[in-house]
This record gives sequence, C-alpha cells and structure tokens, in this order.
Amino acid sequence: MTKPRVAFFDFACCEGCQLQVANMGETLLDVLQAIDVVEFREVMSEKSDDYDVAIVEGSITTPHAVERIKEIRRKASVLIAYGSCATIGGVNGMKNNFNLDDIRGSVYGEQARYFETIPTRAIHQVVLVDYFVNGCPVYIPEFVKVLKSALSGIPYRVPDHAVCVECKLNENECMYDKGITCLGPVTKAGCNSWCVNNGNICYGCRGMVTNPAVDGQKDILEKHKIPLAWVENKMNMYNKACEPDREARLNVEKR
Amino acid sequence: MNRQVLIDSPYEVKAGMIFQTRKMTEFEKYFQIVLPGSEDLGHEPGQFVMISIPGVGEVPISVSSSPTQKGFFELVVRSAGMVTAALHRLEAGDTVGIRGPYGKGFPYRAMQGSDLLFIGGGCGNIPLRSLIHYALDCRSRYGKIHILVGCKSPEMMLFVDELSTWSERPDINLDQTVDQGGPGWKGKVGLITKLIPPLAIEPEKTFAVVVGPPIMYKFVIQELLKKNIPSGQIILSMERHMKCGVGKCGHCQIGPHYCCQDGPVFTYEEIRYNHEAI
Amino acid sequence: MPDISEYVFLDKNKLDFFVSKLNTRQRVVAPVRKGVKSYAFAEVPSAKDISWKYIPTILPPKKYFMPQYETIQKFDKSKRTWETVVSSEPIVILGVHTCDLAGIEFLNAMMSSAPCDAHYRNRKANITLIGIECLDYCDGSASCAVMKNELPHGGYDLFMTEMKQGFISHVGSDRGRNIASDSRIFTPAKPEHIRELEELRARKKDIFKPEINVSHEELKNLFSQSFESNMWREEMEKRCVSCGNCTNVCPTCYCFDLRDELDLSLTTGERQRVWDSCQNETFAKVASGENFRKKKGLRQRHRYMRKFYYPVEKHGLYGCTGCGRCTRTCMAKISLKETINKLAEEQQNSKEPVLNQ
Repeated sequence: MTKPRVAFFDFACCEGCQLQVANMGETLLDVLQAIDVVEFREVMSEKSDDYDVAIVEGSITTPHAVERIKEIRRKASVLIAYGSCATIGGVNGMKNNFNLDDIRGSVYGEQARYFETIPTRAIHQVVLVDYFVNGCPVYIPEFVKVLKSALSGIPYRVPDHAVCVECKLNENECMYDKGITCLGPVTKAGCNSWCVNNGNICYGCRGMVTNPAVDGQKDILEKHKIPLAWVENKMNMYNKACEPDREARLNVEKR
Repeated sequence: MNRQVLIDSPYEVKAGMIFQTRKMTEFEKYFQIVLPGSEDLGHEPGQFVMISIPGVGEVPISVSSSPTQKGFFELVVRSAGMVTAALHRLEAGDTVGIRGPYGKGFPYRAMQGSDLLFIGGGCGNIPLRSLIHYALDCRSRYGKIHILVGCKSPEMMLFVDELSTWSERPDINLDQTVDQGGPGWKGKVGLITKLIPPLAIEPEKTFAVVVGPPIMYKFVIQELLKKNIPSGQIILSMERHMKCGVGKCGHCQIGPHYCCQDGPVFTYEEIRYNHEAI
Repeated sequence: MPDISEYVFLDKNKLDFFVSKLNTRQRVVAPVRKGVKSYAFAEVPSAKDISWKYIPTILPPKKYFMPQYETIQKFDKSKRTWETVVSSEPIVILGVHTCDLAGIEFLNAMMSSAPCDAHYRNRKANITLIGIECLDYCDGSASCAVMKNELPHGGYDLFMTEMKQGFISHVGSDRGRNIASDSRIFTPAKPEHIRELEELRARKKDIFKPEINVSHEELKNLFSQSFESNMWREEMEKRCVSCGNCTNVCPTCYCFDLRDELDLSLTTGERQRVWDSCQNETFAKVASGENFRKKKGLRQRHRYMRKFYYPVEKHGLYGCTGCGRCTRTCMAKISLKETINKLAEEQQNSKEPVLNQ
C-alpha cells in the first residue's frame, strides 16, 4: 500500500504548531510510518505540488493568501486546519478590532500602500475544511487522533462541551476556587485541559462552545465580581475572527 | 498493572460476517450477517444488536429479519452518523463486531389470537418487518392483519417488493402513503394518521404496533385511542441512543427506564405518564 | 452494645508503621491536599502525607473502581479479533468518609445488577477499603445526615474512628480481619474504647441534624411530584451552564461513553470507556439529529431524578450520599440543599387551600 502524501503549509502564524508536530517525540516515528511527508518548511527543504492531504497552519490575512489556500484546496483531497490561527483566526483575529488602514499604517508605516490586507479569516471562512485541530498550539494527542481519522476516512468531531469536563476528570482544583478567572467554562474541550493541568488558566484558544449558556455565565461572573467586558476582552484574544460565524449561526437559529 | 482477558464481560464482541448487501434507497442499505458456525442470533422480533466497526465505534441497530429465518439475520441500516456511514462502505466478505441481541422485543406471545395493526413510518418499518415476517410465518396464530406504511417520499419507501407481495395477499389489508408524492407514485399522499380512521377493526381484540420517528407517535396514538384500542394494546418501539446495550451507560434513559433493557418496546400504558417518553 | 470482638485498637504512635506496612504489599491511596482548598485521593508513601481531616476530595474514590479512561477491549482489524480486557492491581483506599462508602455501595449495586459489569467487578475485587469516621461536618454543602450517611453502614474492610489515644477500628470483612490480625500494629479493643466510641456517637447525634426541610422518607415523594416544577424549565434552565462538574464529581454517577481509538498502524486499536455526563448537550442526541434532552434545565431534572426518585423506585436506594460535592463544585453555585428546600416550599404552597375573596 502506498502511503498517503502529506504536505504541511503555513499562513499567518507563529509556526509554533509546526514546531509541536516536529517535536512530538517517539510518536513521530509511528506517524512517519503511516504517511509520506512531501513538504514541511520547518523541517525539510523539498517541496511538492503532488499531495493527498494538506495540513494547514495560520490564518488568511491577504488577498494573496486567499489565492494560495484556494490552490491548496484544489490539489488536496483532504484539508486539515490545525492551530487556532487556522481554525478560529486565533491571535491574528485581534486585527479585526481595528480599522484596516489604521492597522496597515501602524505596521508598515509609509510603505503601507504596497501591502494589501484583508480582515483576518480562519481557513474554513475561505475554503472547505475537512478536519479541525484546535489549540494554540495544537495538543499533539488530538493532532494524532485527527490524523488517524483522516487516514482512515472517518470524521473527527471536536467535543462541543466545556474544557471543565476534561479538567474535572483530571482532578484539577478549579481556578475559580483559587480566585482566578479561567475561560474553561465556555471553551471547547479536546485538549485534555492541558493548560490547567500545568497550572495555567484556559485562554479560550480552542474557540467557544456552540451553546455557551449566556445567562448562566453572566450569573457566574457577577457572583465572582468579574466584569463582563474583562472576559470579552480575554476571549477576543483568540476568538475575534469567529464573530461572523457566531452571528451567522444565531441568524439561522432565529429563522 | 496486571492486564487480564475477561470472558464474561457484557461488552464482549463476536465476529459477524457480512454475507450479502444491497442498496435499498439513497440512505438505506441491507446487510445479511452470518455468525460464527452459522449460529442463530436467538433474537425476538423488536430486539436490537450492537454493531462494531473497529476504530470507528459501535451503534445499536434493530434486527429486521424474523427469528423464524435461520442461519443468518438481516439488518437494514440508514446512514446517519459516523458508524453507520462506515458500515455503508462495507460489502460481502467484510467482518463486523456483534453484541446482543438486547432489549425487550414485541410481545408476540401476548398478541397470539389477536388481530394485528402494524403502523410503520420511515425507518420504523425496519424493526416492524421482523414482527410482520414472524406473524406471517406463524399466520394461524394471529387474526386479521392490517399493515399501514408511510414515509417521506416514494424513493424512500423500504421493502417495496415485499409490500407489493403482501398487498396481493387476501389475508392482509395493506395501505401505503407518502408525505410528498413524486413521478410514478400512484398511491396516497398525506400523513399516515389519515389511514387510521377508515380502518374497520375490533379494538378490544386488536394490538396496534407502532414504530416510526418520534414526532409520529403523538398523533398516531391519538388516532388509535379514538378507535378505542386499549392503551395496553398499543405497542411502541422507542428510539434512543443506546451505547452499552446493558443498562449501564445512561445514554438511552427515558425517565426511569433504560430503553436498552426495559425497552425499546413499550406499551403505551407503560409510558403514558413518563415525562420523557413522547 | 457492640460486639467487642469485632473491634481492634490502633495506637496513634503506630499509625506510621501501619501505613508503611500496608505499602509493602500494595499501593496505598489516601486523601492529600491539592491546591488551595481541595483534596484528592492519591498515592501516599507514608502516614504524614495523609490529610486525615479533609473535605470530600475533588473526585470520589469511584475513580479506582471505574477509572475516568479505561481500556475495555483490544481489537485487530486484520485478524478480525476482539479481546475484552481489564487492567487492575491490588490497592488500599485509606481514609474513606462514610458518604463515599455509601457511594461505593451504590455503584456496587448498579454495576452488579444483571448483566454484571465484569470490568468493575475485577477492579473491586482488588480494592481494600479502610474508612474513617467524620466527627463533624465537612462544611455547609454537606447533607449527610438527611441521607443517613453520617454513620457507617458497612461496605468497608476496616473502619477507623479517631479517639483520644488512637483509632478504634471495626472489622468489616475477612480481608479487614486479616489486616487487623497483625499484633504488632493492632491490639484487641478494650471495654473503655467501646464506651468512648459510644459517647462519641452520642455527641454526633447533636452535631448531625437533617440539613433540609424534607425528611429522608419524604424525599422520593417530593421528587415524584416535582416533574413539572418551574425549578427545571426556568431557574435551572437559566442558571446551569452544562459544564458537567456536578456529575463528574458525584460518587454515584456512572454514565459513560465507549470510544474506539486506532493505533497509527490503523489495524489495531482499543475501545475505551470514558466517563460521560448527562449534562453534556449531546448526551441524549441520536444520529438523526433528535435531542431527547435538549434543554439544560431538563438535563438537571434528569440528574436530580436519578438521585432522588428513579433508583429509589427501582432499587430502593437513594443515589445521593449527601457528600455535597455537586454544590461545592457548581460553577453557577446551584445548591442541592437550596433546590430541595425550594421544591418543598413550592409544593407546600401548591397544597395550601386557595382562599377566595
């Protein structure tokens, strides 16, 4: 059996997810048994236009990137978006808080007119995505799980319940019990509460659950005397580019 | 940590060989399955089995053949989720994991000597077929047989050949309807509930067996009650998400009942006051 | 008068020796401090690691009987074989509160009801339970008295009660008798020990009082009549955030999911049993898209009914132990005691005759 040809690509991102993959340790040997990597900028110099699976990191932020991702989609039979930048826009989404020309000016100064730009978009907002691996960076066990699903042709569903569910199974003390605000209650699980296991809070890097129980959450914030704006701000760090998705979903529900 | 192989786990899976498949509609596929040594499944009409596809998962599927059918059993599977989609990709010669049969089937013994009114909507015709075949194979034990079949559109009608054979039998009163007609459909168009009022039945000696989508039950039951069929003689098969099949995992609960053990077949009498049933 | 021959005495200065002795034969787990104000059952190399005075651990000891993630099957696609497996090892759970002993008893009944869950049974056979008596309330979330779990009702191998000089220990099984037979650690209990125990239990009667306005016996009826209460469709619907904390920490919740996981070879793999929660939105959803418990409030109703109504009808057992974990852990601060009191009040009001004019 010939191994599927897999290419890794990156758009606007820190390439940290590529680093995670390159750094996954012993499991990498098993991964390389299962696939044939034909392009992976961070670890090899070869490139290829012939691939079955495209694994894409980063968000779409320029007209040029739009063309490039469409080309990748055309060539790949399976497209996996991995990392928050690719799946929800991630940190790049913060750009959408500002006027495009202002932000272009502040980054490129007088040269700004040479740099075309568009609002930050997650990959699925531009082309069809078959698999999502959320996270900043991706959680390697989940990445491997998605890869296995893709290779065996079965869908992977990102859990649509709160990080709290996995966090409790890991028997972590709740951040709120320590007097610390955490985005776990509104963020999609699947990361095995990786950050909280290591003493950090959840930053919401995996995107918001579909049905975040708005009334109840506001109630909780009130009880803990946490201003709503403060949490919104925290959530925007990763989730700003997803707002159009949420609005579209709410419109569908209203109808 | 000591790993031990268990021989008495309720989650033990047997290998079942797919002997024949047939595409039935755009969404449904037929499977004939043979157990090791052509052993009988030993099911009752209305029971279900858990089907495993290793690496994908396990789903409950109701058995569509009658226990009078020996040597193999039949499933008709609608492709709806991950496992059923994977099942649709399998062909004769492939292997699936089998657990079961599970659950309480139709009360076919209690029904002996009575008239039978079968009402099947869409996928509900799949488990119903098991009981219809059983009743036809033991025809003398039952009185009059009425079969009402409904589905969304003519292309989605299941078991078309069997329906046409049954419709020609003098000892069966069969009526069909589709929610929306289409080219070539000469039969009735409208909801299945409309087929009930004109029926000539003796309510006290009739068992109504109803299987269909959740929305169908409420309206069909109303019509049957209008016909004065006692609530203990209205038999329903409930759809829930069975994951373990053995009354543990909790997914299939309908109020206090585990659908996988106390059901899937219930009388209307048993569940009429259950807040989560209909 | 208790039978003195069933009791042994453990001097306080032999506690270290006792724990290290247990450790030579198997893994010993006991409550240890975790974080700012929480505790967890974890491995303890010596007695000094144990927090004897603790409020219920984040997760109950059920995690040793039915782990959060558990391999139950190995399969090989190429060979078309399945093998059902369990991994377990001898383990002593030391310092279990009476509420958690009751929780384990409940799980035992559920998992052994036909067909018996062989995975649970095999793990259980490897577990030694040593209980510890609570002399006061853990905190205001607990409702152990109304659930009648402030005192031990069996289900342990050994049950220790701390007194002035040491621990008087009740032998609850042959396995417990075996542990208690080590004369370097335990001495036969003396009549004055029994007297002290009885005095202590008498004092407990003044401390532990029903914590809610409904009696143990009436709880079931209260819930059987509360299906249509506004509590579920309004208050719970608005407050609950479906984080699943309440069920994950509950000592009597045992719902689970079965998941297949392929190895990277894509031919071999395993089936896992993973804790699941009826509070998760997709718990009662079927493939056709229908969700039989779509509303958060009705999912909460289901949870309460599974504690106070369904198991009482079916098995004669309450599914609540009074440990208070669900209240302590709730993000939305939904309190079990308050919920019950409100339901009782609601019902009282609906019963009162309506005065015309």
